[in-house]
Formats: sequence, structure tokens, C-alpha cells
Amino acid sequence: MEIKVLAEADLAQVMDLERRLFENEAWLEQTMASEISSPHTHYIGAFDGKLLGYAGLKVSGPSYSSDVQTIGVEPELQGSGIGRKLMNELLVVARRRGSEEVFLEVKDGNDSAIGLYQSLGFERIDVRKRYYQPSGEDALVMQLKLRQPVVLGIESTCDETGVGIVRGNRLLANALHSSMDEHAKYGGVVPEVAARAHLEAISPTLDAALAEAGLAYKDIDAVAVANGPGLSGALMVGIGAAKGLALTLDKPIYAVNHLVGHVGADVLERGAVEVPTIALLVSGGHTSLLLVRDLLNDTQLLGETIDDAAGEAFDKVARVLGLPYPGGPQIDRVAADGNPKAIRFPRGLTLPKDMEKHKYNFSFSGLKTAVARHVEKLEDAAEEYSKADVAASFREAVIDVLLTKALWACEEYGVNRLLLGGGVVANARLREEAERRCQEAGIELRIPRFSLCTDNGAMIAALGAQLMMDGREPSGFGFGAESTLPVTVVQSA
Amino acid sequence: MLLSIDTSAGTSAALFDGETLLSSIRFDDPFGHAENIAKAIESVLQDAKASVAELSGVAVGIGPAPYTGLRVGIAAAKALAAPLKLDLFGVMVLDAIALTRQEERILVTTDAKRGELFVAGYAKGVRQFGPEVIHPSKVAEMGDYETVSVPADAEMVGAFAIWASNNGIDLKETSAIYLRSPDVTPSPGKRVSG
Repeated sequence: MEIKVLAEADLAQVMDLERRLFENEAWLEQTMASEISSPHTHYIGAFDGKLLGYAGLKVSGPSYSSDVQTIGVEPELQGSGIGRKLMNELLVVARRRGSEEVFLEVKDGNDSAIGLYQSLGFERIDVRKRYYQPSGEDALVMQLKLRQPVVLGIESTCDETGVGIVRGNRLLANALHSSMDEHAKYGGVVPEVAARAHLEAISPTLDAALAEAGLAYKDIDAVAVANGPGLSGALMVGIGAAKGLALTLDKPIYAVNHLVGHVGADVLERGAVEVPTIALLVSGGHTSLLLVRDLLNDTQLLGETIDDAAGEAFDKVARVLGLPYPGGPQIDRVAADGNPKAIRFPRGLTLPKDMEKHKYNFSFSGLKTAVARHVEKLEDAAEEYSKADVAASFREAVIDVLLTKALWACEEYGVNRLLLGGGVVANARLREEAERRCQEAGIELRIPRFSLCTDNGAMIAALGAQLMMDGREPSGFGFGAESTLPVTVVQSA
Repeated sequence: MLLSIDTSAGTSAALFDGETLLSSIRFDDPFGHAENIAKAIESVLQDAKASVAELSGVAVGIGPAPYTGLRVGIAAAKALAAPLKLDLFGVMVLDAIALTRQEERILVTTDAKRGELFVAGYAKGVRQFGPEVIHPSKVAEMGDYETVSVPADAEMVGAFAIWASNNGIDLKETSAIYLRSPDVTPSPGKRVSG
């Protein structure tokens, strides 16, 4: 006997069994068809040549519970363990999807079914009078509590020391310490400054996260840490702390990919990362375009920056305009009064000749130079110029090329979802333009809340929890910092 | 029991019961700190058939050291100590090296990279100057000291922490000792057009 996910082709067999089992209380065929095909359900069948039994679970959107919708076993095979196998399979799915509670209804008096559910840990919590029609029989409501793992995640890939705590898909804490101010006088992130700051910040940030979650160290079930991509010296601080914690708590450790963590942050918002999706991650350290078909199993890098990250370009142009670090918010502020069409700055790697090799890559170095030349020329000639127009036109060029390429990817890969992540998402104009273009193209836009978009520990914890809930083996103790970790490696061994 | 960790040169760990060394291990790889730190700690615990529950304190080498690896040991020590509320001892590694020597007057030097040395001078076990970072040509000017040039390890760090605690010396400071500023200067920005 094998258990597999039901498909449309199995509908006739399911309905045949459904009608024989439930007679005049059986579901309509169209109800069953839409249940089986819904993205929010998981229907399985036990087969031995033909269908012997079926069962379905509903996990709706960003909730922490799921419902057993139905279960049925061939009458002469009832009591042979098929129902138990189907239920166990559904509970695996409920666990993996982050459910903390599973509910079901069962006909009062169906003692064999009630016995099965009780043996699986379900408890009776309520009665629904006259639930079944037309018979008018009562339903018992039963509940199973699932304990999802509490995972502490450490992020130290760049200039933010982040410690997040999740329980399954639930955000419990997201503590952050940024060394941004220390980098301000240098106009950009200095790796050694960042690494020194991580070491000073790690203990207070751990304490802050535990306090925010209202938990103690003993409540932690696993430790996750981003081991790349990022700055080596910075990564090593997080790794050292994560390994020390895992050792002293005697808990498993998961070394996870920072970029996949950005994509996975959305599980904390809506219970799952809806796939397939194109993901555009834009920060001071990264500009990456990803095709995600499955968060844990299938993420592909379509393109990335070949020189500066978009956030770096903002910092550099801010300097050209005499604005302080970090440049993003400064440019945004000044650009508010500017004309985005005043100067046509170049859109890197968007010419026909770039399409073969660089269709999804980005380049912002030429843009930054073009802005600098423009400003120097005007300053040399002692001409008055509008900083606002320069800032607005520069910002428009960056946003245009980011979104143009992201939407190309949606079109080429037939994906109608776009997920944004990374600190540059703070840019109001980027969000506004992304909304406009996505709406125009019929693409669903996802932007997690800002504190989950910038570098943070919660997304690392969430990805670790996803791996754990999926039954993955923990990482060993031998992993190191991988500054160029490819996005295809979700977890290091 | 006291667990000691050092990542100021290679990666090493040692376990002490009272003043008795139970186990120790040293990875000399000057780059594999992040990879080796947990293996080293796990190994000394296993060799002594001990568990973290039996620990009362953690001693860690806090530099001076040139490698980014120094921070791995300190981060691990802080994270190890916090959940179990263990005492954490920060050991200046040149002091730890000096304690292993019997000579009257010694100048302890370790490799500071970039053609420089970390140094500290000791007379009858008491630090006279340092730690500081110097060019090797300056060693001759340091006076009448016997030069000792060995890297530190967790055995030395642990032994120093035990000696210090027996002598009432406070080792609460656990911030890394770098002795050099981050290698960067603010730049005024360059012109792109000629």
C-alpha cells in the first residue's frame, strides 16, 4: 500500500468511496474537486492498485491551526490501520506547515474513530449539536496540540547583529543591534568595524531577544545561524556564538543561507512562502534576483550585481551630493521635491547586447559615475543645480532597472508573484513603483514588514525552524563562514 | 571544572579540574577557527568524560591577536557561559605565556602580522610594560629581557585563569584586545572626471 497526494484523476474513485461511506451526507463532487485542488489543502489517498482510503487537511493562510476535513476508509478494511496511517501522514503535514493545533469533527458515537483520534493525542473540546444533516446527529470537536520547535537564530553577515526567536512559524522576538552609526564616518560598511561591533553586541542582543520573547535559554530547542553569504569576519562572530550556545544547551544547530533567509521571512507573515515566486533582494550588500520554486529545495539565482549593490550606489551618490551615510533615506528625502525625469541617467545592463549574458544581472557602478560626472560638470561651471532633481533622477534609474528586470523574470518564468526583501525596501518610491507595475502586470506583490526585510535574526530562526519542521538533519559542528555561499545551498552540513 | 578556550593563534581547548589538566586539544590551522571551535570543546569534554553541566567557569584568551579568529573564541565563550551562568574569565594571552616561564626577565612576543609583533615585558612574573604592538627592530631597545616567542593556547590560558583566581586577580574584562585601530581611514571622495 502506498500513500500519495490525490490528484484530479483520482476524483471518481474518491467520490465512489465517499458516496458508499457517507450516503446522503456525502460531499458533492464539485466540493470534493475544489477541496482536492485547493492550494490550502492537502488531500492524500491510500492505494493498493485501487483507492482504499483518503483523507484531507486544510491549512488556511497565516494561521497556526489546521483542520482534518475528512477521512474515509473502505468499509471492509476499517480497523486495519489504514486510517491511522492516513492520519499520521496528515499530522506530518500539519507539523511541517507550522500548525500548533489540529481540529477535527467526528460523529458522536463513532467510537472506533474517536478511539483512533484519542490514541493520536486528540482531546474532546466541544460539541456541535445537530451538526450532521439530515440525520441531526451531534459532532464532537476534537483538538490535538502540536509543539512546534522554538528556534533562536543569529544573523551577523554585515553590520546588523540580529537575534530572533520563533516557535514554528510564529515570531516571538526580533532583537537587533546595528553598527551603522560607526560606519557613517567612513561612508560605507567597514568589515573590521562591523566584526568588532558584533562581538560587543552579541551578548546584549541575545539577552534582549530572550527578554522580548519572555523565554529562558532552557526553552530553546535549536540554534540557527547564517553562515553566508556575507563578510567573513562578521560571520565568524555569529558562528562562534551559535556553536557555543548549541554546545552548552546541548541542542541541534542549523547553518543556514542568509539570502534564502530573506525569502523565508515571509513565513512569519503568512505561514508559508507562496511559490513559485520571483524574489528581488536589495540591500547595501546584495542585489539578487531569485526564482524560488520551493523554499527549502529549489531556489535558483537568476542574476545579481556585477559591481556595487544597489544600497551601496545610494551611499556613494549621497556622498557625491554631500549627504550623510546611509544614503538611502537621505536620497529619498531630497528626491521628494525633485523631478525624476529631469536627467536621463543610464540603466545598467539593459541594452540588447546585454541580454545574452546579463539579462538578470545588475550594474550600478556606471550609474554612480554618471551622476558624479553630471554633478562635477555643473559644479566646475559654477552652475546652480537642483540636488532634488539629481537625487530623484538617480533614484528613478535604480528603481526602474530593478523592477524592469524583476518583471522580465516574472514573465519569462511564468511566475505571477514578486517578493521584495532587503533594506532598500525601506525606499518608499521603490515600494510605490513596485505596487504600480505589479498591479499593471497582474502580479501579486509581497513585501514583509520592514523589520523582517532588513537583515534580522528572526528570518534566520524561521528558516532553521522550517528545516527542522521538515525533518532535516541538523548541521554538524564543522561548518565555517562561507562569504560567497551560493543561494542553492540552503543549509550547510 | 574550568573549560578554557583560545583562538588567538590556532584553535585550542582544555579542561581542568581544580589545577589538574584533564584534557586538551589544539588545532594549529591559523584560519579554521569557526570550523574548529566546537569540535575542540566537544573533544576535551568527551576525552574527560565530562559534560557542560559539570563546568563552573570558562576562561578565554582575549588577545592581543591579529586574526579575525580571536573573536570566534570570545563569542563562543560568552555564549557558552551565559545560559549556565558560568564565571567567565578573560585572559590576556601574553600574561598566560609569561606564566609558563621561569626566567627572571622575559619579553613575550607573538606574531602580530604585517611585519609587527605584540610584546609585553615581565620581571619575576610581573608585567613591566605592554601589551603593545611594535616593529621587530624595536625588540633590541626593550632592554635586558630574554625573548620568548611562542603562540598561546588553551592550556596556558586555563592555567593562568586558575593562578589568577588563586591570587585574587580579577579577570572580568572579556573585550578583545586588538591594539590596532580598524584598518581604514575616512576618504573625502574622489573626482571621477579629469
